[in-house]
Amino acid sequence: MGITLRELGRAERGDRADEVVLALSPGFGGFFSKTIVDIPHDEVVRQILAGVEEQGVQARVIQLHATADLAAVAHTGARLSGSGIGIGVLSRGTSMIHQKDLPRLSSLELFPQSPLMTPEVYRAIGRNAAQYAKGDSPQPVPTLNDQMARPRWQAKAALLHLKECELLVKGAPPTEVEPVIEESV
Amino acid sequence: MSSLPHPETASPRTSLRTRVLEDRPVNKDGFVQEWPEVGMVAMDSDFDPRPSIRIENGVVVEMDGRERADFDFLDQFIADHAIDVEAAETAMRQAPATVARMLVDPNIPRAEVLRTARGLTPAALLETVKLMNIVEIMMGMQKMRARRTPANQAHCTSARDNPLQVAMEAAEASLRGFAELETTLGVVRYAPLVAIALQVGGQVGRGGRLTQCALEEATELDLGMRGITAYAETISVYGTESVFVDGDDTPWSKAFLAAAYASRGIKMRFTSGTGSEVQMGNAEGRSMLYLEIRCILVTKGAGVQGLQNGSISCIGVPGAVPSGIRAVTAENMIASMLDLECASGNDQSFSHSPMRRTSRLMPQIMAGTDFVCSGYSSTPNYDNMFAGSNVDAEDYDDWNAIQRDYQIDGGLQHVKESEILAARRRAGHALQAVFAHLNLPPITAREIETAVYAHGSNDLIPRDVLEDLKGAQSVMDRGVTGLDLVKALHEGGFADVAENLLTVLRQRVSGDLLQTSAILDGNLEPLSAVNDANDYAGPGTGYRPSGERWEQMKKLRHVTSAENPEVEVE
Repeated sequence: MGITLRELGRAERGDRADEVVLALSPGFGGFFSKTIVDIPHDEVVRQILAGVEEQGVQARVIQLHATADLAAVAHTGARLSGSGIGIGVLSRGTSMIHQKDLPRLSSLELFPQSPLMTPEVYRAIGRNAAQYAKGDSPQPVPTLNDQMARPRWQAKAALLHLKECELLVKGAPPTEVEPVIEESV
Repeated sequence: MSSLPHPETASPRTSLRTRVLEDRPVNKDGFVQEWPEVGMVAMDSDFDPRPSIRIENGVVVEMDGRERADFDFLDQFIADHAIDVEAAETAMRQAPATVARMLVDPNIPRAEVLRTARGLTPAALLETVKLMNIVEIMMGMQKMRARRTPANQAHCTSARDNPLQVAMEAAEASLRGFAELETTLGVVRYAPLVAIALQVGGQVGRGGRLTQCALEEATELDLGMRGITAYAETISVYGTESVFVDGDDTPWSKAFLAAAYASRGIKMRFTSGTGSEVQMGNAEGRSMLYLEIRCILVTKGAGVQGLQNGSISCIGVPGAVPSGIRAVTAENMIASMLDLECASGNDQSFSHSPMRRTSRLMPQIMAGTDFVCSGYSSTPNYDNMFAGSNVDAEDYDDWNAIQRDYQIDGGLQHVKESEILAARRRAGHALQAVFAHLNLPPITAREIETAVYAHGSNDLIPRDVLEDLKGAQSVMDRGVTGLDLVKALHEGGFADVAENLLTVLRQRVSGDLLQTSAILDGNLEPLSAVNDANDYAGPGTGYRPSGERWEQMKKLRHVTSAENPEVEVE
């Protein structure tokens, strides 16, 4: 079981109005294989794509190489998306739904606490992004909060961020990728 | 039956002891290995600069191995505004071991340490504290804190932003001894009503408690200028230029904001703490404590009277690396050593382990700091809108017992339930009168009676949030000020509460709360490092709980009477 992101070349701007772009951070599905709470990356991608597709919307996947900043990752996805809607996901699991005309540091929905993400939340993110792409105004996915997330996860989150920053390639353009999910037998 | 091997499920046998230990709360905490190259290290890193200074014509031209031409903006600000060039050459000639000894030696007066400290560079301060173990750092803290009498600060918040709850928590916290009360919001638009509630509740009973509302900087300043709050503390500074710039700020912009508060006689302090830079991925390869020392010096250079440090919202980061909590105690001590008021953290959820939670706060409560917690949750933790505190309303009796055990003053005392209920009720009625006077959504008698006996927001009658938010907006639109609150209290029959609030507001005219470590005492007179300077000089000197205060600290919820062991002391 695992995921390989097969590179298809430089990511281009889509022209389908009914698509959502899923933008992944540099270490996703490569150096890292799971989120901070051990959700496998293939599960994250599978849930998001399923959420998008169940709304009858197309999904494309790209990977960023020059930044691990969530707002930049998500906003790049949105700018390359034919609908203007993108989803950004960092290797540790932090996620954001973005729209191309919003300021970079603003967003449609932000999921800042990576330890609280679940497969269900990823599916709901895919679903909501697809609804935004269709011009709907869905109810935001409820964000969770945990007073004790700090002592347990704060330092590990910092470590994961630092590791992901080490993988950055200055100036490298985003690439279009095909997620290949290997099923275990 | 299948005889196939199951390699995934066959795990080595673990002992019952291991299983018990695995289930202990401490194993829910995060611990990580050091990585000094990127700054994931508390205070001992080969990548930190070595101390040096060169002064030409009264200007620092080289500091910690860096030429002036290569200074980043923090170096420049520190060199030009924080380091006393008159004192620097002599101070920097002293070996770090000499300065460390000055800190622990009771025969060296505080003033003499201050004279040396003001000439030390960030790297020299770091080299000094690296020689000190936790007991020595506590010795230093005991001598170097600015105000002689220690104090404490409470968080008064509500998960539902219920103003009535906040007013009652403020009144109770005031009675329990907290000198400062801080609030913040879930829904930011509620801020004006909650800040008013905190201000009113903090003046009930003894009164004279200083209040603040943590918000984005412009609104926080606006509420301060109007006199709806009495001080501010969430003005953050950072130890690397890149993190500073990420927040669209510089040391000069923060100094400008500080001057805006000072212009109205409003007390304020900066906030910083170990771990923030590495957390944001921009530690530039320096240790957490080295970067925090730069923050402390920026605070000094901006002319601000005090600093809230002790890692604060990043406590999970130093808490996860070796010697991290020692580094946190060192950052508090360095703030005091530079003659700043120190609100010493202990304010955020730090550990799942009751033992580690206690151990975290012992250095500050034993040595005594200007504010042992910045702050202590006056509510159950689920109501704490600062994402939880290290200690909360459920720990009051433990805290009081620890104070009594060691005869150390953490700023609190046990209060009888009847007194607490009376103060909560009075705060509720005072806020009801203020809301009525200002035409804000009414507070009913039933809401008050429910809240008097409540533990947290789950026990309350919900407010009409939309109506409250409209009211909150109208407070801002109508330009309501602290004086309007005084009038409302007076006309509502709460002359004593009105008088207390007016006394707090008057301090802005005299500017006395701009003095280092200022709070208001039982007579609502300023108590600061000017009229209550720390005079610790060894055994038998300095602040020790005694007389009436010690008698007050001896009281607990249950103490068996010596006179009649069949009853408890009242």
